Amino acid sequence: MEATKTAAPATEQTKKKKKKVSPYMVFSTIVIILLAIAFAFPLYWIITGSFKTQVSINATTPEWWPSEWVATNYAKLFSRQKAPLWEFAVPFSSNFSKDGKDIIWWSGPQVPAAIRWLINTVFMAVASMILTCITSAMAGYALAKKRFVGRSVLFTLIVCAMALPKQVILIPLLREMSSLNLYNTIWAVIFPIVGWPFGVFLMKQFSEGIPGEMLEAARIDGASEATTFTRIALPIIKPGIGALAIFTFINSWNDYFMQLIMLSSTSKLTISLGIAKLQAENSTDYGLIMAGAALAAVPIIIVFLAFQKYFTKGITMGAVKG
Amino acid sequence: MKKQVSAILAAGMAASLLVGCGGGSTSTAPAESTSTAASTEAAAPAESTEAGQAADITLWTYPIGKWGDSESVDALLADFNAQYPDIHVTVEYLDYTNGDDQVNTAIEGGSAPDLVMEGPERLVANWGAKGLMVDLSDLWTDDQKADISASVESACKDSSGAYYEFPLCMTAHCMAINKTVFEAADAMQYVDAENHTWTTDNFLKAVQAVYDSGKTDVGAIYCSGQGGDQGTRAIINNMYGGTFTDAAHTKYTADSAENVKAIETLHNQDGINFDASINGGEEITLFRNGTLQMAFCWNIAQQTNSDNSAAGTTNNGDDILFMAFPTESGDPALCGGIWGFGIFDNGDENKIAASKTFINFMANSDETAKAVKTSTYFSVKNSLSDLYADDEVMNEYQKLMPYLGDYYQVTPGWAEARTAWWNMLQQVGEGADVTTAVTEFCTTANAAAAG
Amino acid sequence: MANTAAKKSEPKMSRALVRQETIAGYLFLLPSLVFFIGFVIYPMVMCVFTSFFDSTMNRADVFVGFQNYINLFHDSVFLGALRNTLIIVIVSVPITCIFSLWVASAIVNMPPWATSLFRVIFYLPVVTGSVAVTVVWKWMFNNYYGIFNYLGKSMGILDQNINWLGDARYALGCIILILLTTSVGQPIVLYVSALGNVDQSLVEAAEVDGATKLQAFWKIKWPQIMPTTLYILVITTINSFQCFALIQLLTSGGPNHSTDTIMYYIYYTAFKLYKYGYGNAMGVILALMIAVLSAVQFKVTQSD
Repeated sequence: MEATKTAAPATEQTKKKKKKVSPYMVFSTIVIILLAIAFAFPLYWIITGSFKTQVSINATTPEWWPSEWVATNYAKLFSRQKAPLWEFAVPFSSNFSKDGKDIIWWSGPQVPAAIRWLINTVFMAVASMILTCITSAMAGYALAKKRFVGRSVLFTLIVCAMALPKQVILIPLLREMSSLNLYNTIWAVIFPIVGWPFGVFLMKQFSEGIPGEMLEAARIDGASEATTFTRIALPIIKPGIGALAIFTFINSWNDYFMQLIMLSSTSKLTISLGIAKLQAENSTDYGLIMAGAALAAVPIIIVFLAFQKYFTKGITMGAVKG
Repeated sequence: MKKQVSAILAAGMAASLLVGCGGGSTSTAPAESTSTAASTEAAAPAESTEAGQAADITLWTYPIGKWGDSESVDALLADFNAQYPDIHVTVEYLDYTNGDDQVNTAIEGGSAPDLVMEGPERLVANWGAKGLMVDLSDLWTDDQKADISASVESACKDSSGAYYEFPLCMTAHCMAINKTVFEAADAMQYVDAENHTWTTDNFLKAVQAVYDSGKTDVGAIYCSGQGGDQGTRAIINNMYGGTFTDAAHTKYTADSAENVKAIETLHNQDGINFDASINGGEEITLFRNGTLQMAFCWNIAQQTNSDNSAAGTTNNGDDILFMAFPTESGDPALCGGIWGFGIFDNGDENKIAASKTFINFMANSDETAKAVKTSTYFSVKNSLSDLYADDEVMNEYQKLMPYLGDYYQVTPGWAEARTAWWNMLQQVGEGADVTTAVTEFCTTANAAAAG
Repeated sequence: MANTAAKKSEPKMSRALVRQETIAGYLFLLPSLVFFIGFVIYPMVMCVFTSFFDSTMNRADVFVGFQNYINLFHDSVFLGALRNTLIIVIVSVPITCIFSLWVASAIVNMPPWATSLFRVIFYLPVVTGSVAVTVVWKWMFNNYYGIFNYLGKSMGILDQNINWLGDARYALGCIILILLTTSVGQPIVLYVSALGNVDQSLVEAAEVDGATKLQAFWKIKWPQIMPTTLYILVITTINSFQCFALIQLLTSGGPNHSTDTIMYYIYYTAFKLYKYGYGNAMGVILALMIAVLSAVQFKVTQSD
């Protein structure tokens, strides 16, 4: 239904466009272009700045285009600190190891720490995304389609908790993570994201659309609960899961606060945290900071541009149902 | 092959015997007797020889010269591991903006590091006072005490006599001026370039002269955060002979008439700007790129830094002259930095012993000269005072070392006092009444000191 | 909610079926509940609990009753932070909504490629991430060689440098401006799609009847995009309350506490002053404020 609706006005718009160009439209187009330049400027400045020399980036008159392109900032960024490319710990080993730290059974070659930060960030975002989608899809389905004691209480609780900023509970959360031996692990960032009930709420809204007769029919056919869920419910709420996935991915990528509180050692940092630390340590070395910022921004922007259509759809769908 | 290994081990043992650290022993049989001998001779406590031979320890360091740079620290660690192959040290590099938060969250999270490298204000006055640190009295042998000046020693222990820091290096913080600009403004007449000193009166005249010459941003009382805050304290305390705390380090005295006068004078002076948007590090950048004509956050590491331009010059080649802070009396009291190691009490004797071994190796062995040079500062040991004998700039800078003042950063409530300090400067910058702001600062700081 | 009521009266189920449904329901909920209770509800309860204690590092907690709350309302920094938080919310939420609605309505009528290009550009600051963006803004606002002062002076608007982030008069405004650029991306995307879905024939009919553009917008488009607007209001409100990275990286609450927000002050209390109980009390207050606000917004949404 939506598809037909959007298609029709699009053609009409193009028609109308040819009809008349009002002064207001000229004006608004110019303003929009100026604004767009302003919005794109930070990214432009990060990327060009990362290739400038130390002197020209600190110059008192802005150098709009690098007079000399150098890679020294990147060289410095990559040589500063090293970290293993990956580290696999024995699960829960911190609970029985002598010093309360994880037992690492496999760690990768030493690489620049910034690369490891990127890997951490991607892992963090993808893991939160997958876990959130699985748990929320199941919970949302149950809340929408199962009748059980305590359902409405639970749903009210979820709606209330949704608006709450995570930061409010940072102190107890930190203490909890340290007593679980999860402090300074990527899981300490992931679990609170997964626990955040927005996903459940969203999936409940999507699951309302599953026709009850289909579920009834499946039950009469003797399908198990699991089969009913995977065969009937999942295909129907799939677009919703896609929206939730994109939503969670962006949110966790930008969830600077949790990362700041929970992660501390060089090999555990995420890329945003790494950049923030760079800025704090070398507030004078703008070139280095820009190189770090470029490294943080460019991969996600490439992902965004490649999947732009899905991002837009995901954001919109989340809103329609939310 | 085997012979070679034991030869290296023996050499290592011999080295440890020579410096009397007695910390090192490996599990090989022949070495053990040597190590026992070492421990009896050096009268080091038994635990540091028998425990701590093999451990994984973590060291967190603040950016103290090149100790904040993994390449140089790795070189030191390689030397360490050549001698103690079974002690594995993981290093984390902290910064001054987030470092404290990081240590505090780690403490709260139950994963504080074993070793930390910083100064007494944190090791003694903050974490030591909170009972988180290990008493290092056993490292402070009589030989050490004889080799380290009394003022440094007293900064490293608390009022009960427990030592929470074993120092490695020190420096005096000073200020710097753009000599070329000063010359152009005819302001060098106010400066004693030979001795690197000036009077308060001359300092103000010089600032005015530079301001009048068209360079309107002469200096900045930076106060966006605590980075480099010793500079703002030093300029204010020195101008009219005020002090930051009382001599016994029990209460904050920044509200004295001398300090109030200094702050008011600075605030009213043309060319001096109370800037709440920059910290010490950013002030240095602005000084280097020619925006500011003097820097209050300076020390020898800045003077010899050659990242952007030749050492001792700004980005466009102007000469930089380091200066003591101006005083009326002619006897500046410079803030010092004393950096060294402290050990967090994580309850693991083995790790504590291994950490002590590490401290002894870095701060008390043949390696010390290299470890000190890595910091780019001066050694705390009198026996190493000629470390930079052939370095002209370092020698020149040594002129300032006698001005090293009271190490008041160990006063209780230091962390809160620092924060309140830059908040106070921000208030003054916003036009608040100086006496009111400073009095409020002292109330806050003294409340923290008492609690 | 209405759904729930309707369903309840639907088919009557056998007791065995009810039991089976309950078990299945909770099994489906289990994974989600583990995280929800473990990392949201439990810390929330602990937060309320600890707020009645004087709690700090390395010392047993001391019960103090409501003392933390009483102190809070005598703490001028907290009250200032409360005020700043409200200013940020009150200023940035309407501006975000109006600005993004305007941008969306300006670009929605452009050729599809242009619409999508501008949509991407306005969304860029969101994906770039607040930390990376902040780095540039810090430079742009620099007192001595920042771009704003440079442009202002070279265009003759300013006659001397303004210390944007170092002056209590401007700092909060700068924070709000940056917050705007990082938060309009999503609303623009939403509005573009909502406006695209507006039934164009109604608009044209109205215009034929002699309605002005503004009337047509107000009478026909506005009611249709109302749900989107409400959703945007909710998310931008929550976002504005959570504004933290900008403040931590740009001003640390300064100058003179003029940019302290509750969020930042909680962090500051906990990790600079180590007053955990006090910080938790602040958290509870903030949570209550947001709860009340959400309840109001929820009511408004329901009544529409």
